[in-house]
Amino acid sequence: MNRRRFMGTTLGGLSLWPLTGLIQEITTSPRLQERVKDEPRKRLRELGIRIGTLETGPHNALTDVEGVRVGQTTIIKGEGKGAARTGVTVILPHSGNVYEENLWASAFNLNGWGEMTGVAPIENTGLLRTPIFLTGTYNVGIVYGAAMEYLSRLNPRMGVTEETACPVVAECFDDFLSDTPSRPINTDDVFNALDGAKPGPVAEGAVGGGTGMMAFGFKGGIGTSSRRTGDNDTVGVLVMANTASRSELRIDGVPVGRKIKGFNPQPGKTRSIILVAATDAPLLPFQLKKIAKRVALGLAQAGATSHTGSGDIILAFSTADRIPRDKQAPFRDVRSVSDFWITPLYQAAVEATQEAILNALTMAGTIVGRDGNTAYGIPLDQVRRIMMKFSSID
Amino acid sequence: MDKEIVRGKKNSLTDVPGVKAGHLTVHEDFLDESGRPVSTRTGLTAILPYAMDKEMRLFAGAAVLTGKGEMTGYEVMDDFCYLNSPVVIANSYNVGAVYDAILSYGFVLKREEVWPPLVIGVDDSYLNDMPRRLFKEEEILAVFRDASDGPVQEGAVGAGYGLRALGWKGGIGSSSRILVLAGREFVLGVLVASNHNNGDLTSGGDSLTLIVGTDIPVLPNQIQRVVKSLAAECSSWTAPGGTDTVSCLMFSTANPMSMENEGPRVFSYKMIDDSFLGRMIEAGAEAAGEAVANSLVKASPVQGKLGRVLRTIPDSELAKIKQRTG
Repeated sequence: MNRRRFMGTTLGGLSLWPLTGLIQEITTSPRLQERVKDEPRKRLRELGIRIGTLETGPHNALTDVEGVRVGQTTIIKGEGKGAARTGVTVILPHSGNVYEENLWASAFNLNGWGEMTGVAPIENTGLLRTPIFLTGTYNVGIVYGAAMEYLSRLNPRMGVTEETACPVVAECFDDFLSDTPSRPINTDDVFNALDGAKPGPVAEGAVGGGTGMMAFGFKGGIGTSSRRTGDNDTVGVLVMANTASRSELRIDGVPVGRKIKGFNPQPGKTRSIILVAATDAPLLPFQLKKIAKRVALGLAQAGATSHTGSGDIILAFSTADRIPRDKQAPFRDVRSVSDFWITPLYQAAVEATQEAILNALTMAGTIVGRDGNTAYGIPLDQVRRIMMKFSSID
Repeated sequence: MDKEIVRGKKNSLTDVPGVKAGHLTVHEDFLDESGRPVSTRTGLTAILPYAMDKEMRLFAGAAVLTGKGEMTGYEVMDDFCYLNSPVVIANSYNVGAVYDAILSYGFVLKREEVWPPLVIGVDDSYLNDMPRRLFKEEEILAVFRDASDGPVQEGAVGAGYGLRALGWKGGIGSSSRILVLAGREFVLGVLVASNHNNGDLTSGGDSLTLIVGTDIPVLPNQIQRVVKSLAAECSSWTAPGGTDTVSCLMFSTANPMSMENEGPRVFSYKMIDDSFLGRMIEAGAEAAGEAVANSLVKASPVQGKLGRVLRTIPDSELAKIKQRTG
């Protein structure tokens, strides 16, 4: 088995992930050395581009919402026919056992050509009760099974004498780069991601569930960003981006996708994006629905028009109040931000979403997958040039 | 006894503390410009969920199945999950007049505003020359002013005056249940406008409208669960094929919220545990069934448009239906 697995590593806040993957590819395929001359990947802010007006959290990541942890397993296996470029990204919504202590949550289905399991109970009860898993389409069953095993190990009475939780497993189709029917993922991969989940910086680009994803005609994948409001609330967003076409791409309103030259991908389909938003502001499910809808606006600001075949599914949760599963009290006091004070959180969600999507692009380097299919990393030098040109027109 | 379900004192929606209701009933016969006889058999039924002079709002939600009927104010209720208006049932042609009168009511009360008005439209065109008589603002405001917390008048009254259900005279009915949940006593009241299951599967005008009020502390997602279940339950009483509109609107008086823009940033709410929702749905379905039965039994015969007559459902027919629907 020529399977290589990497756990996410960071050095001084700089993600080595896409770089590591790229080096791997180049060293194992001499032919690629000619074709791929990639530049070091950077986050959008490192290119001097800022989205919106709010400040980011310390890591500009979903994990800026206290207690939220992210873990990823990246699977890069083989070349040519049957090559795998896939993985799993897991979000642990708080520092405790989320099966025992639930969080308010809500989903918004912008375009339903996709899968997010566990949504029906969230919509009915308003409660998130499991970690969130992002992976490739055909991996969903295996990841779901692993999630149940994880939940059972942590909660031995679940499904025996206690109620069963339905894990949230969401997908995008990574078929352009990965041999999806081979389902190149197993339970260990999922447990490795869970075990490696941590606060702090999050690896972006071709990593975890995003390893085989493409967005806006370029290499896509995992991206994240966060915002702090004037009321000192944090909103974090993490996306697995595999959607939209190149001509749609906008960065801070600039039609960058239409201006970039070269780097045309081989014919392939791009589709779907999963977006997860977290906040530490106390919000009830109907308000989290509104946050999820604003996340859709952030997606639109990046230029996406939500194609028919794009499963654009959004989940939002609040870490402010934990609702115990084992209810001792028939009556409970809950809190939520007044509707009249909620607007800054919308701004935070829209800004963070656009930036998270763009980080997924700028952090993803060129990658060659199954059958030699190549997804180019968005050329950062061109992005910078185009942005400078547009900002000079006043 | 925790599990026993008993009726409220008035067996009416007004058993919920603070809730008032009132009717406007219009019966007129006149000749139009061309000398054709016009029969007006209509009215409106208003529910005031709280003392309307207060700047506040209540959690609310609605489920509308196969909806062809109007429910104004739905967008705010769907998205922000509250109401701050009277809930008025009126015939479809009067929705605008009632909507406008509710706005006026807010200004009369010197509130900043009562918005958005919640008006539910019903089709009483079997007995009523619907397009021919608009309510006057003072008539509507008088209903709000005179609304009472006494037992809601039932049968051929208010919005129910021109309604038809099961081919018999339909109308307004109400019922309530007392629930003891975790040692605390609550009330859940239902008001219905029965206009359903008339065997005419093509008109599209038939409907069953339910207004549910309670002082149980339920949050919006819980209200959604209850109204969906109740609408589904009531749907089984309507015409086969799902051609009748089934609307269920529910509010809880337990968590009144201020309407002030400069109010507190974080609100605190009471919430009942999800495990009690089943009992609420059970009690709600019971009360809804009884309210529908009341709407029929209490409805006196009415003669209207084109000389049509709708009679009170005979006991034998009602017994058959009860047997069929439980």
